[in-house]
Amino acid sequence: MIRTRDLTKRYGATHALEGLDLEIRAGGVLGFLGPNGAGKTTAIRLIAGLIRPSRGSAEVAGFDVARDPQAVHARIGYLSGEFRAYRDLTAERYLRYLADLRGGVDPARIASLAERLDLPLRRRIGELSHGNRQKVGLVQALMADPPVLLLDEPTQGLDPLMQREFLGLIAEARDRGCAVLLSSHILSEVEAVADRIGILRAGRLVALDAVDALRGRAVRRLDLVFAGPPPAEVVAAVPGVRILGTTDRTLHVEVEGSTAALVAALGPHAVEDVVSHEPDLEEIFLSLYADGGEPA
Amino acid sequence: MSGAVLRKTLRDEARPLVWWSLGVLAIVLLMALLWNQVRDVYTAELLSAYPEELQEIFNFGGAMDGAAYMNIEVFSIILPVLFVVFGVGRGARLIAGEEQEGVLEPVLATPVPRWAILLQKALGLAVGVVALTAATAVATIIGSALGDLAIPATEAVVGAAAMGLLGLYAGWLALAVGAATGHRGAAMAVAGLVLVGGYLLHIIGAILAAVEPWRVASPFAQAVDEGPISGVVPWGFAVLALTAAAFLALAVPLFERRDIETG
Ligand SMILES: Nc1ncnc2c1ncn2[C@@H]1O[C@H](COP(=O)(O)OP(=O)(O)OP(=O)(O)O)[C@@H](O)[C@H]1O
Ligand SMILES: [Mg+2]
Repeated sequence: MIRTRDLTKRYGATHALEGLDLEIRAGGVLGFLGPNGAGKTTAIRLIAGLIRPSRGSAEVAGFDVARDPQAVHARIGYLSGEFRAYRDLTAERYLRYLADLRGGVDPARIASLAERLDLPLRRRIGELSHGNRQKVGLVQALMADPPVLLLDEPTQGLDPLMQREFLGLIAEARDRGCAVLLSSHILSEVEAVADRIGILRAGRLVALDAVDALRGRAVRRLDLVFAGPPPAEVVAAVPGVRILGTTDRTLHVEVEGSTAALVAALGPHAVEDVVSHEPDLEEIFLSLYADGGEPA
Repeated sequence: MSGAVLRKTLRDEARPLVWWSLGVLAIVLLMALLWNQVRDVYTAELLSAYPEELQEIFNFGGAMDGAAYMNIEVFSIILPVLFVVFGVGRGARLIAGEEQEGVLEPVLATPVPRWAILLQKALGLAVGVVALTAATAVATIIGSALGDLAIPATEAVVGAAAMGLLGLYAGWLALAVGAATGHRGAAMAVAGLVLVGGYLLHIIGAILAAVEPWRVASPFAQAVDEGPISGVVPWGFAVLALTAAAFLALAVPLFERRDIETG
């Protein structure tokens, strides 16, 4: 449903996005992660046809965004990273306006979305709290049940309950066959709803993988508590294992990928306890983040 | 095209228009009612003391009458400024202003093409200018009756139309620059420069023979040369309307192709 080829955006010497090749099929949910200035917003706005690529192209449902923006716009629900709506309109009136521009939306759908997100439709948007304004943005993106959703930091400002409700809405859209591209700074949220994660840094897609595969690549931290003195040399010799430190009879180790080899090597030694820190996507995530996001 | 953008533009415009119209009404009526107090001061002798060029600019070559009085006191400076400020303010806000606030982006992500959004906003602005023009014509007709100015209704309408066309020209220019650039400041600056430049050209052209041939390019000259309150509909009206439409036509491809600013 969404496909980009060599999608590139430069602002003078700034490479906001470099050669993005991406494909998201119907029912696929891709989550963009990456530090500030990495290019997430740029990628989403390019696909939404709001800015023009310096090079490359983007397609939605087979329509080229540059050549046929109307066909693309008819098929996307878009939420900007800095969503703003006419402050003097009520949420209801605003949503009706955008519904008119889309050629009509079932009012019952708007009402049901508003109810699930607990959005007060009758209030003027200028009077709404930040989170409630964000909900207006979510409803306008979702209300037409478009086949493609482009959501830039959709959960900002939402309370935890509403974040969960939002994730439920995305899961429903996915099950309906919607292709979703969303960006976020919250790993757990992306993990919960996306089947793939793309990590952008300095305008480049530095990692793109299924959530499960990324988890497999994840670094796991274990604390191995031995009955006697820890056999440090044995443990260090196991491939993929690194010793972080020793306290007393405890070895703190880091294991990349499977722990099977380590368990086998420990066989002859008296292990009293193993404390596992859950596979930490956050770790690879942070290590990929580490160099900062702003492109050169 | 559903016309939803046009309807929204008109709704947004309605309330400010009431105030603008009341303002125009108040100024025109006040000045009209003053005519009977000041008509003796505006004698031919007083006016002949003005340089000939100024007499030409303000069209009081002939005898001083109610129409000439209103042309000098109301339709030469106050009303043109009001219409230009109305047009530029609305024009700069409708696309560039909304874009910089960030509220235009969700609209531009709907299937309505950008040219249609620009066109509907331009129409909405034009309807507002027409409403203000109607208020001016009505005020002039009422003022003429109350103040004994003896201005024929048709001439009042021509005078008001001159103001309206200036407002439309200024408004569509600001709208076009705003749509082409996305910057409200640029829209106001360019429109302001063109209008102030046009005004200077209109004045200086009347004084300096060397500049005189260029005077026809001034929107003020095009709008007010026959009066503005006058029995003749000047050809300048057509030029103003066509130029204003040309600004929009030039802006369309630029608006269609450019990056939209984030709020
Ligand atoms: N209009 C612009 N002019 C110049 N540079 C820009 C413009 N828009 C974005 N950039 C640059 O492009 C790069 C990518 O920005 P982008 O907004 O896509 O980052 P992001 O990943 O969305 O960041 P964040 O997490 O802060 O939202 C940044 O270096 C930014 O400064
Ligand atoms: Mg962003």
